[in-house]
Amino acid sequence: MSKLGQVVESVENYNKFVLDQVKRARTDEKFGRELLGRWNDVKAKIPTTRTPTGLPLPRLALPEIDEPGEIARYLFGEGLPGEFPYLNAAYREMYLEPVREIESFEKNAGKAETKIPQLEEPTRLFSGLMLAEDTNERFHYLTRHQRTHRLSTAFDGPTLYGIDSDADGVFGKIGEGGVAIDTVEDMVRLYDGFDLGSANFSASMTISGPAPIIMAMYIAAAKRRFGPKVVPKLRGTIQADIFKEVQAQNETIFPIEPSLRFLTDMVEFTTHEMPRWYPISISGYHIGEAGSTPVQQAAYTLSNGFAYAEMFAGRGIPIDQFGPRLSFFLDCGLDAEYIALARVSRRIWAIGMREVFGAGQRAQLLKLHTQTSGRSLIAAEFKNNLTRTAAELVLAYMNATNSCHSNSADEPFTTPSEEWIRLAAHGQAILLEESGIFKHTMNMLSGSPGMKAVERAVEAAILDEFREIERLGGVLAAVEERYQRSQIQNAAHRYEQQIYNGTRPIIGLNRYRDGDEEIPEVKLARTPRSKQQLQVDRLAKFKKKNAEKATGALDKLAAAVERGENCFPMLLEAAEVCSLGQITGRLQEVVGRFRPMV
Amino acid sequence: MASPIRILTAVPICDGHDSAINTINLEFIRHGIEVIYLGYHRSVSDIVRAAIQEDVSAIGISSYNGGHIEFFAEVIGLLRKKGADDIKVFGGGGGTITHDDAVIMKRKGVDEVFFAGTSLEEMVRFVHQRYGKSRTKRPRPKSFDQQLAHKLSEIEDAYAKGKRPTRLRDATAWQALNAQRPTSKKKIRNSRGARVIGFTGPGGAGKTTLIDELVLRFLNRSPKGRIAILSHDPSVVGEGALLGDRATMINSQDDRVFMRSMATRGQAGGLSPATQDCLALLADSNFDHVIIETVGTGQEAMPFRKNGIVDLTTLVMNPDYGSRLQLQKIVMLDLAEIVVVNKSDLQRARTAHAEIEQRLEQNRRNQHLVDTVAKRHRDPGVDQLFELISNR
Repeated sequence: MSKLGQVVESVENYNKFVLDQVKRARTDEKFGRELLGRWNDVKAKIPTTRTPTGLPLPRLALPEIDEPGEIARYLFGEGLPGEFPYLNAAYREMYLEPVREIESFEKNAGKAETKIPQLEEPTRLFSGLMLAEDTNERFHYLTRHQRTHRLSTAFDGPTLYGIDSDADGVFGKIGEGGVAIDTVEDMVRLYDGFDLGSANFSASMTISGPAPIIMAMYIAAAKRRFGPKVVPKLRGTIQADIFKEVQAQNETIFPIEPSLRFLTDMVEFTTHEMPRWYPISISGYHIGEAGSTPVQQAAYTLSNGFAYAEMFAGRGIPIDQFGPRLSFFLDCGLDAEYIALARVSRRIWAIGMREVFGAGQRAQLLKLHTQTSGRSLIAAEFKNNLTRTAAELVLAYMNATNSCHSNSADEPFTTPSEEWIRLAAHGQAILLEESGIFKHTMNMLSGSPGMKAVERAVEAAILDEFREIERLGGVLAAVEERYQRSQIQNAAHRYEQQIYNGTRPIIGLNRYRDGDEEIPEVKLARTPRSKQQLQVDRLAKFKKKNAEKATGALDKLAAAVERGENCFPMLLEAAEVCSLGQITGRLQEVVGRFRPMV
Repeated sequence: MASPIRILTAVPICDGHDSAINTINLEFIRHGIEVIYLGYHRSVSDIVRAAIQEDVSAIGISSYNGGHIEFFAEVIGLLRKKGADDIKVFGGGGGTITHDDAVIMKRKGVDEVFFAGTSLEEMVRFVHQRYGKSRTKRPRPKSFDQQLAHKLSEIEDAYAKGKRPTRLRDATAWQALNAQRPTSKKKIRNSRGARVIGFTGPGGAGKTTLIDELVLRFLNRSPKGRIAILSHDPSVVGEGALLGDRATMINSQDDRVFMRSMATRGQAGGLSPATQDCLALLADSNFDHVIIETVGTGQEAMPFRKNGIVDLTTLVMNPDYGSRLQLQKIVMLDLAEIVVVNKSDLQRARTAHAEIEQRLEQNRRNQHLVDTVAKRHRDPGVDQLFELISNR
């Protein structure tokens, strides 16, 4: 049985354990009294907060139960926020206003003069456009009101496929849909003006196929600006999720096994040298966007996560070292499953990590970034997308996501423009800061009978998917048989059919469509030819300058790969003097190219 | 009856968005269209080369990652340069292509741009109306690939109308024409020139991957050599076909490789009614090797036997063929010169090798048995198979 099969068993066993505790609480009087005592104790310690209208509310809401069996079901089955199995939240208070903010409000008799800053905003806005300096400008614009600088970077097509801007036939793609990065010099420009070693800064990079190469360039750029001592201080995330690329997003550049090996090389390096870095973001987002059902999204993402954990542990990296550095990324759309999808995922992850991998508390936490669904946004009557995204945001925060990106309404046509980005960001602020839904009370919307019904149905369906993958021989075997791909494609096909035949209502598209097509007048963020040419020219200059050194670095890299040793240190050297395409090309000579799956 | 409409679909380079095109492909084939699917992340030259070799009526491009104005224009430009502008271009891409973009794209020669919300029926109707007429007046071919592609279409069209193609009468003239073309060093084994190697075996055994890996070795070994591939996929009963072998081939997208995808068009046995004549034409066309791949086949007799053009037959097996009894039923095991157990990294491969070896020994025909892992880069088993095929 693979680890995934053991995860299924561990969840089943845990559910049995919960039922046993319920029974025991009802029959074993002493145990029942203990639970009741603990429950009353927890309730007594909950602080009270006051809303702006003066309404007193507890900072944590709990079900109104006083029967030991039900208390056991809650405490063991769901856990308080921040307690195993973390159904309600990974942390105790999530988005609540800090207590001192309320106190200062009261002290000033309702006049909030001294707004004390929160520690961290959960807002993350994904951006990347044109050349490095253009994205850099956008980053500065986006963070100008933010206390913390959390940058989330989108790369253009050539970068995502590990090829250079001067490659045959990619000219029109330079800087489209993300930023063009060819060399360490671009990487220096990209984050210029930000203090990469500061605790208030982190960089997130959404790239998987060439992730180890881009990671090496980031480190090289940081060293150029701040010296070698900055490396252990670097904070951020790189996506580096190979499985989901093969299953859904199609941005794989090496065959699966060497791709996984390069990934493990990088994880081994960052775990030791960059303890604050998240070297992989296990992503369901693209699985969801490729058209999977929400259950497939969660099931494939979690099973991919367990497969990575097994692989990294197999390399000898201790689970409690890499476990807390794994992070997750899920899609949030409008289907009913999303009411509890991330909640259930967090619970399964915690149980599996604890029971099967023997992980400690920090490695049990599924730390989640959510993005609202891009697929749910449409071009027709596009302003409706604001409402779609707002509803998805509510769902995402009901699932206690740790961070969130809200899509811009103009995303169906273009890289989001500033106007719509601002609205998307403000949507989150309105929800978290202006509205009282999430800032006063934990569990404000948790635990409704409907939510519990969704939780049970979703968990059962995810475990069924796990069993099927296990039957096929585990995640890697199932991927090679293209099981997940074919399931996702079937679901996508059904989704499209439903839209076309109207059984899936899309307002403004197949229902309540107002006559002629409204042609959206949005300002398009297209990359001018002159900028594309500038990128090509810069690259040529870089290649010319480093021609001699590049050959040596590439030879050393290839030799390390052939020897089968951890090649990341050689990648770091190569990143100083080689372009992305040069490195990709050389690695492909050694390990081959990815053969597309259809 | 006229031949089904043949179109090529693809997603541009640096773009992996294949969800829409997968759905559209399925809709097309259900409505009688033969779709050669090239896959995602494909360059302009790959698309144009494939379109010319496959002699499609039109190319459908699904683009989501931007740069579409340039990309579509480059495809049209290259088609013109190659004298193949009878191949039309249409496409779409959700909301990333704006109405303004579409105006520019149409001005540059794109037939139609579909936006988000276009129904599948509308796209099918468009293809039938716009590309449904048979192409009677063909432009004068500008390249050998194009000339060969037109000839192959004539053969397929003739069979679709229930006639024997006229090509056979001028076979000698064709040979003479081709004899003038320069080729690499020759190891000609028969009067026709090329060595014809047949690949057959059950679906999912990895024939296409194996062929693509052999092509890589051939291209590396013979810097001027040329190779032709005739690949088959089944037609949906009485309707279109999804010809998808190109999508998983990474090494065969090369100017020295001529590939043609054929639908079986209702014929059982893994080949098309037009196969024999098409294969004969390719064998006469001065390639070093001609590779023919059947659709995934069952236990029935050898598909190549009756036409006699194939010089060497390779049966590709999956280790998971079932019991030893099943093995006894596979007629092709008696007829193939080379038997390949692909996916030999699977657990069952060792047993499979032993069982097949025993079965081949009973035949006493000096058949070769090779274990390969075609998906692995530089697989020694594939090297061995390549040597066997090159030297036999």
